[in-house]
Amino acid sequence: MKLENEEALDNLIICHECYTLHEEVPIKDGTKAICTKCGSILYRYDSKLVEHGLSLSIAGLIFFILANMFPLVQIEILGHEQFITIPKTFIALFTNGFYIVGLLCAFLIFIFPLMIFTINIVLFTLLKLKKGKEFSKELLVLLSHIKPWSMSDIFLISILVALVKLIGYAQIHMGTSFWALILFVLIDLYITKRIHISEIWMLRKRIFLAKGMR
Amino acid sequence: MIEVNEDKLIRCPTCEAVNIDKSEENICRRCGSFIHKHMHFSTQKSWAYLITAMIAYIPANLYPMLITSKFGVQEGSTIMGGVILLWEHGSEPIAVVIFIASIFIPVLKFLILIYLLISVKYPIGKDKKIDKHKMYYITEAIGPWSMIDVFVVAILAALIHLANVEIVAGTAATAFAISVFFTLLAAHAFDERLIKENK
Repeated sequence: MKLENEEALDNLIICHECYTLHEEVPIKDGTKAICTKCGSILYRYDSKLVEHGLSLSIAGLIFFILANMFPLVQIEILGHEQFITIPKTFIALFTNGFYIVGLLCAFLIFIFPLMIFTINIVLFTLLKLKKGKEFSKELLVLLSHIKPWSMSDIFLISILVALVKLIGYAQIHMGTSFWALILFVLIDLYITKRIHISEIWMLRKRIFLAKGMR
Repeated sequence: MIEVNEDKLIRCPTCEAVNIDKSEENICRRCGSFIHKHMHFSTQKSWAYLITAMIAYIPANLYPMLITSKFGVQEGSTIMGGVILLWEHGSEPIAVVIFIASIFIPVLKFLILIYLLISVKYPIGKDKKIDKHKMYYITEAIGPWSMIDVFVVAILAALIHLANVEIVAGTAATAFAISVFFTLLAAHAFDERLIKENK
């Protein structure tokens, strides 16, 4: 295989599921390229990626804040009422002396999701303004390191499992935050599925290349 | 013009850019991070994390995950005990979910990682019938789901603390969380290039 220079490697892509090498070809706006071997999505082309990414991240952050402010679920046992919020779940672990699990949970369901959405907002704003070449690079590296450690979706399923365990023992009322958390998780999943990290890298390259030429 | 062998092209684990494998001191041309720099002890790091995870998985199954105290009487239930209890009480779907998340996925992950780590060093599984890249991808995708049980315990412990009835997390919760954490690290530390080199 012959290449002009190392930059020409950007025209190649390796499938993230089955490691097959592909050549990147231009595709129509709003369509996606699929791996010929395993059928997973290689990349998409979205001419309004920055706008979509920015608006989704802001919406996600708003729902995340809402999800942390109000009660998640409320139960009634033997005339007593109890409710939990997201921060309360890991703070309760701390007060019971489970520091390791508490710390882990705090990072997985609170700090990392919050960081990811904040980074996304800053990143897309920088790309929108066509500024911060080096800083956007640092943010992208940080983003791909913490992305596998964000577990809001798993936490949502855990709430459902916990509630099913309580059926019959207690009366359960869903709080405001529960619905906010569902919306947050849906946005989070949508961003993860739709906006692949390599697409943001390519976008960044196009933006700063065009800027450099001017 | 540069001439590149297609087999020498690798993917950066951080930013997914295609790079030329220079065998040592690989620094990604796009994001600047190291691409598995320790070639000489390539699998050791992953092995170390994996063994830690497996050791932590033993107390996770022996000690109680959840301690319920009703009117002063304490009762602990282990992971498997909890699954059996749920099944007997008629919540089979939840029993299945907990079983898959806490026992099936961690054990499957241990086995896949052991298989991958051995197969890249020694000549087994060379029949190419199994796509090892796909296998690795699956382990990465299902791994975090074993955290379900830890979260459930955290939620129940935060929710149920009344005067007479209280639920507290057990020792196994810490052990299990540590086990999941180290399995995730082991999977991240695994160098996908090794699969390619040993095809």
